[in-house]
Amino acid sequence: MTPPGWSYNPSSWSERLPLIGLATIGFGIAGYLALVQLGTIGRAWEPFFGRGSETILHSGVSRLLPVPDAALGAAGYLLDAVSGGIGGQGRWRTQPWVVVLFGIAVGPLGAVSLLLVILQPVLFHAWCTLCLASALVSLLMIGPAMDELLASLQVLVRERRAGRSVWRAFWGGVE
Amino acid sequence: MWARALGVLAGVWLMAAPAVLGYGGAARVSDLIVGPIAASASIIAVSEVTRSFRWATLPLGGWIVVAPWLLGAPGAARVSGLVTGALLMGVALVRGRLRERFGGGWTGLWRRGDA
Repeated sequence: MTPPGWSYNPSSWSERLPLIGLATIGFGIAGYLALVQLGTIGRAWEPFFGRGSETILHSGVSRLLPVPDAALGAAGYLLDAVSGGIGGQGRWRTQPWVVVLFGIAVGPLGAVSLLLVILQPVLFHAWCTLCLASALVSLLMIGPAMDELLASLQVLVRERRAGRSVWRAFWGGVE
Repeated sequence: MWARALGVLAGVWLMAAPAVLGYGGAARVSDLIVGPIAASASIIAVSEVTRSFRWATLPLGGWIVVAPWLLGAPGAARVSGLVTGALLMGVALVRGRLRERFGGGWTGLWRRGDA
């Protein structure tokens, strides 16, 4: 199960369960914020920054899209949790497409949502505790998720160098 | 690990510094953008497989050293920038311990020969 030249298996459940747990927490926070943006919940919990959460959650930027931006975040966390949970402990080799999907969802997508939160105090002169908490969850997932992505990319590169189909390895895995 | 922790602290300080030291304008915007990016890079660099993210704080720190002068921030902001920026540049150079092995690593994806 351990990739060649590795000291551990990045697809083991002990590596993946903490990430699934973080994604679940993130889904809970973002889902709550989406309900605030939809008006289902009157006011976001805000222990530190006064009316900061209100300012940010009901800003013009948050209404640029047809759905509340926190709902997109919640969908992203759901994708993290699902793509983190699919497959067995050899999935870095047997299901590279799942691992690559997981890596993109946690890495680049997580980084984009992080940058959007970074812009909030610059644009609105306000902070939002739960938005920061959600950003921290995204951030904590990035590093620990990247090892599995690396193992799968190494599989694909090995296949290419061996003259075999990368496409087939990507979707079907290798022995 | 301590180097990553210092990187996070320096980044968080930059996020708070404009309010604590009382400066606004371009210097504030600069710190509010660079601070969280430096802290984020330091947190990502805690993981061994992404330890190279530590290098991000080298140019960010360099900018933080000179930015208060270029952006016309008050004296306290200049001292803060000098210390915080130097710290960010310094921690970038500290690799820290690596216990795990990752085959050919990221560079092995495009460089042949190793592991």
